[in-house]
Amino acid sequence: MKKTILLRVLLCGVWLLTFSLLASAQNKQITGNVSDEKGSPIAGASVVAKGSRTGTTTGLDGNFTLSVSSSVKKIVISYVGYTSQDVDISSGAAIKVILQPDAGSLTDVVVVGYGTARKKDLTGAVATVKEKDFNKGVITAPDQLIQGKAAGVLVINNTGQPGGSTTIRIRGSSSIRSGNQPLFVIDGVPLSGGSSRPGAGGGGDYGSDGGNPLNFINPNDIASMEILKDASATAIYGSRGANGVIIITTKRGKSGAPKLDASASVGVSNVLKKLEVLNGDEYRKALQDYNISGGDYGGNEDAWDAITRSAITQNYNTAISGGTENGRYRVSAGYLNQEGVIENSQLKKITANLSSSFKFLESKKLGLDINVLVTQTNENIAPISAFVGFTGNVVSQALQWNPTLKLRQSKDSITTLGGTTINPLSSLAYYKDKATVNTIIASFSPSYKITDDLEYKFLYSVNRQVGVRKGMADRRLNLEGVLDHGTAFIGNNEQTNQQITNTLNYNKEVTSGFNVNAVIGHEWLIFDNRYNFMNGKDYKNIGLDYYDYIQQGVTSNRNIASYASPTTELQSFFARAILNFQDKYLVTGTFRADGSTRFGENKKYGYFPSLGVAWNVNNESFMKNNDIFRNLKLRFGWGKTGNQEFVSGASLARFSIAGNDGGYSQTNFANPDLKWETSTTTNAGIDFEILGGRLYGSVDYFYKKTTDVLFERTLAQPAPNGKIWVNLDGYVLNKGWEISLTGGLISNENINWNITGNASFLQNTVKGLAGFYETGELRGQGFSDVRGQRVVSGQPLNVWYLGVFEGIDKSTGQSIYKNGDPSANKYYIGSPNPKMILGLSTDFSYKKFSATINMNGTFGQYIFNNTAATVLGIGNLGSRNIAKSILNTNAKEAVSNAPAPSTRYLEKGNYLKMANATLSYNIGDIGKAFKNVNISLTGQNLFVITKYTGFDPEVSTDGGYNGIPSLGIDYIPYPSARTVILGVNFSL
Amino acid sequence: MKFLKTIFYILLMTFAFSCTKLEENFNSEITQNDVSNITAEGLLTTTYNSFATYQDGNFWHLQEHTSDEAIAPTRGPDWDDNGQWRALHAHTWNADHGQISGAFSDLLSAQFNASNVLQFNPNAQQAAEARFLRALSIFSVLDGWNQVPYRENLTDYRLDPVTLKGTEASDFIVSELNAIMNDLPDNVPAYTASKNAARVLLMKTYLNRGVFTDDRSNPTFDAADMNQVITLADEIINSGKYVLSASGKYFDNFAPNNDAVSKENIFTFYNQNGVRGADIRNAWYQIAHYNMDPGGWNGFATLSDFYDKFEASDERRGIKYNYPGTLPNPGNRKNVGMLIGQQYNMTTDAPLEDRKGNPLAFTREVSLRETGDNLEVTGIRVEKYPYDYATSGDQKNNDWAYYRYADVLLMKAEALLRTGKAADGLTIVNSIRAARGASPLASLTVDNMLDERGRELYWEGWRREDLIRFGKYLSAWQEKSADDPKNLLFPIPSSQLAVNPNLVQNPGY
Repeated sequence: MKKTILLRVLLCGVWLLTFSLLASAQNKQITGNVSDEKGSPIAGASVVAKGSRTGTTTGLDGNFTLSVSSSVKKIVISYVGYTSQDVDISSGAAIKVILQPDAGSLTDVVVVGYGTARKKDLTGAVATVKEKDFNKGVITAPDQLIQGKAAGVLVINNTGQPGGSTTIRIRGSSSIRSGNQPLFVIDGVPLSGGSSRPGAGGGGDYGSDGGNPLNFINPNDIASMEILKDASATAIYGSRGANGVIIITTKRGKSGAPKLDASASVGVSNVLKKLEVLNGDEYRKALQDYNISGGDYGGNEDAWDAITRSAITQNYNTAISGGTENGRYRVSAGYLNQEGVIENSQLKKITANLSSSFKFLESKKLGLDINVLVTQTNENIAPISAFVGFTGNVVSQALQWNPTLKLRQSKDSITTLGGTTINPLSSLAYYKDKATVNTIIASFSPSYKITDDLEYKFLYSVNRQVGVRKGMADRRLNLEGVLDHGTAFIGNNEQTNQQITNTLNYNKEVTSGFNVNAVIGHEWLIFDNRYNFMNGKDYKNIGLDYYDYIQQGVTSNRNIASYASPTTELQSFFARAILNFQDKYLVTGTFRADGSTRFGENKKYGYFPSLGVAWNVNNESFMKNNDIFRNLKLRFGWGKTGNQEFVSGASLARFSIAGNDGGYSQTNFANPDLKWETSTTTNAGIDFEILGGRLYGSVDYFYKKTTDVLFERTLAQPAPNGKIWVNLDGYVLNKGWEISLTGGLISNENINWNITGNASFLQNTVKGLAGFYETGELRGQGFSDVRGQRVVSGQPLNVWYLGVFEGIDKSTGQSIYKNGDPSANKYYIGSPNPKMILGLSTDFSYKKFSATINMNGTFGQYIFNNTAATVLGIGNLGSRNIAKSILNTNAKEAVSNAPAPSTRYLEKGNYLKMANATLSYNIGDIGKAFKNVNISLTGQNLFVITKYTGFDPEVSTDGGYNGIPSLGIDYIPYPSARTVILGVNFSL
Repeated sequence: MKFLKTIFYILLMTFAFSCTKLEENFNSEITQNDVSNITAEGLLTTTYNSFATYQDGNFWHLQEHTSDEAIAPTRGPDWDDNGQWRALHAHTWNADHGQISGAFSDLLSAQFNASNVLQFNPNAQQAAEARFLRALSIFSVLDGWNQVPYRENLTDYRLDPVTLKGTEASDFIVSELNAIMNDLPDNVPAYTASKNAARVLLMKTYLNRGVFTDDRSNPTFDAADMNQVITLADEIINSGKYVLSASGKYFDNFAPNNDAVSKENIFTFYNQNGVRGADIRNAWYQIAHYNMDPGGWNGFATLSDFYDKFEASDERRGIKYNYPGTLPNPGNRKNVGMLIGQQYNMTTDAPLEDRKGNPLAFTREVSLRETGDNLEVTGIRVEKYPYDYATSGDQKNNDWAYYRYADVLLMKAEALLRTGKAADGLTIVNSIRAARGASPLASLTVDNMLDERGRELYWEGWRREDLIRFGKYLSAWQEKSADDPKNLLFPIPSSQLAVNPNLVQNPGY
């Protein structure tokens, strides 16, 4: 109690002091206003007369008044997170100061998992991306915000589908099986990584992309994202930390009068790149050249234009925040309506978010944080699946459409061909596929300060997600199994994940120059998934959607299924201590014990230690007089982290229920020794800041060895399912360099120009694996059971294994391959894993104008252009369309030439993409109501520098086989879009 | 204050030590901890289903595409499929061939499932059925690879399966079948293992006993084995359950309602829409052109030399066949058997066209790699299982005919031939030919015995086995040259060699 009174006295004292200073007559009085780079007033900025202790802080409106001795020439204005400014006051005029955010600020606080740490105390490899540095444009999920923004982080938008899935790799892929995505933690709630959006199914080829499981987060609510890369940083997440951890921190309310922030934007998207196929006249000429009699229907049709459109995206966000010292809140709502560039496809998202923080008791020792996030996403999914064979999806159907044939016979009549050629307009008209996902994440977190240094915190969270998907294929669609039948399905998925976390934080300067920041905790997570599914067949057209009267299908063609996952529980104990000796020597020790229901009976608990040390060289006395470095820190870390992304029940003998005939069979052998996969990471890094803070950056080297590799390996037959989950003897090695640099080129009152870049160089190798495993399923006409990638010792993960194409034989028109038949002569050739990842950003501001440009690229990876191989080959001539490029070869390719899986379609995927560029103008206040009005124009995906011939080298359609994921396959994906967005935001 | 503090400390202690046991609860699967809920009956159903590999599956491909009966030509951009089909027909496979590995795995999974039935208190008939199915799986693995991994311990994956080889494996099959004969039922539908089904498998084992040895290039036929074949055949004949189909009814054995109308089927695999079964519709899709009804995948064909083995009057070569759900066929066109020449719309009788607008007329000749302008329409198509139009679901109702009475008769004739009683054998063969509308043979020789088996049993999954037994498997035929004796056995899949030390690669691979 005494302390509280003391605090109050102190607070009052500040005001008393201000008034007393005002009263003193021999001083001169300075007035002014402090605002941030956007023009918003900064409250609480410190204003101090240089060389004295006289000072004040700014008020809520950013204004200050300071009385100083008349001898004072300069004042220093500073605020946490911003670069301090010295301001000349000799003129005596009112001062207007705009503080620039200090990206390299060492006083930053970084969220490190179960607590925070000062950036200067970090020993691990942690990258922070703040709101102002996020990518701009139409962003549906948070991972897109950081693409190209942090070294060592690869983000691939797998397709151009609105809300489509992404591939995220932090420091390469270390698992052979699936489960290479990092762990996402949002405000202390670790996510399961799954989504309740049901998969496609039930006849016909519905859209296959699983969607981004993070779609439920409104990017506009995110304040910052921290990427924990090495074991010293991620070991606190133990058996889920091996792929790195991305911590999302949402925006919080600040104390003050209620403030309303609003933004609105509208954008227009068009297809980024159109693949070149023949037009009607060119097609006719090709038919003549090849002496093909049929195939000319006389017209000139562009099927691509018929399925694509200029798509409109609208995005509205509003947030109200404010509060007092003892209760702060932020309530926000967002609405996104994104049309896809393929007709009919659409993503709508409605989000509401409440974050609040309260303090109770007279002592204010009892705190309570309550966060609630509610989201609904609604999708109209385009009939684009990567699992289709020669009948294709709407993209391939449009590309292949015979350009001499009219798409419609009349306004109401879509041209229908016999057999297997499907009119893309039929696909658009006769498919319906809708998904709705509702998400609620609520967390309740009381805390209590036991002493000033020791705080206990409890967190309970529940993450409930329910997804419904309904689809139908009209009986008029001339697809085998659909024509004259019609199919429909309804799928329901639900997941409920709960968390209880107890932590005890201790943060104290124990003795002079010795700081301890420690946490111990216990966590319990439980995951529950369920689904049910039904499909039907044989419907009459009565003007309604089949899935709304699914009972009308023929009884014997109904399928129903339900499934409830095994309960998955994770119980953990963890501890971390960050020790700081005189700001020079830093030690971080972390330990986590994870128990998981998934682990085998003999291996219930895994232990994950890590140790990091750092030396702030710059704080040594011998560096006192150096004026080169403002910061120089050497870091070294070692630790073990785990990955437990294998199916529940893998360690037990299981009997699965088969179909509807009462049968079941054993599908798994028991492996009581099954355990987590362990990644041992060594990281060495250096942080520096030179030229008075105008150039700063980091260089890191990492060496990550993943052992006990989780794998469902082939079992000596006879055996259930032929496979068993084991920890393999082999290992996966990822090593590389990461460099990130930021330079302030110009910084003065009117002009500010910064450039930031990061580059990572990665090397990935599989070692010690017995035999090989196939993946990389290539699909389409003539490509049944064709897999182009292997996992094999001595090669990178997913190395391409293909025949080598040597050209077209001029006499026969047939392909020539190295050593003959490409099916019998295959070679390890190229890797789909990038060797270098590059991110470049620059922001420039001149007075009220500012411009930001973000570019990213990957280099060294090879992409298999499966679209070119099996959709637009010469064999189509006479019935379907072909790629224009085939005709431009020196040798005339024979129509009968088979497109064997070979290097003919393996292309370098190097690219550099103008991901987004924004030009904005800060109007300032309009009248008394609108404050800080800002308008912006953003271009997204403006251009791509690449030699790759497909839609977009940033692509990865699903070619996984037997649970081993693929990478770098481009098979008729949803095409990427280029978007121009006009936005406005303001405050009230 | 004190009070609150105390509460927090208590809460902290409670949470920190309220450990869960981390036991995995299964909600939609049965675990090893709950085996009391597992019945032999449920496991047995799945065991039957696990033989889908015989029905246009991997093992069927190995038996037919490696023979002179079937070919899957690479048609320009279609059916290249990484060369897997060409490798089968030309006998150029290696130990990584997908369908060889797939078939090996399919058959051994079936063995596991069958053995597992025995772990869960089956009654005598269930145990006998399971052991029959296990013997069936062992027979096929022995046939293809000569080495049969056999797992005795079904719970510890670390114990390697033992290997049964050659005659030892044949003897094991014989002893198993004899042990269960009395427990197998007599009067059951053809899709349930019966005494007669076991007799057929015994016949096949005895007939091939001198073939299924380590060296398959010199088959021997022990008289005692042949006499067993004859005795078992007589037991089946004398059971009086089967007769040869009447004239025009050969395709009753394969029709969608063959479970009701076939008089020859002894053992089948059950396909019933909405109930259970395998993808029997593929029998149509793999041969039908895109523009036929329904549009297929335009793949497999047979070869003209094989087609020429038939007389025109032989109904097995193809007829117009009426069956429940058949299309109107106003032009009375052939709709089953071997389809050659112009094809017609079976509803309107309009001549069909290929995708380029040329007449859809299947040619006599076909090559392994088709490069001509007519590559869509080359090759004679084989439609043995009449397409089940009446069932709209993907799962069709034709049961897969595995053991047929005609096969029993032919095996008896062959055993007679091999024991110097060619005349008795000829009588049997001619009785079959008469039933099929073919003229009688003048004499029975090893060569025309093989041909007759081909004519009667084409595309039913026996050709490779027959060609090996008759010493013809390595000969040259259309689109294949003479080849090396190593090909009499398939290679052990390299993925299995890597994990089972009790397997050795077959010679030559």
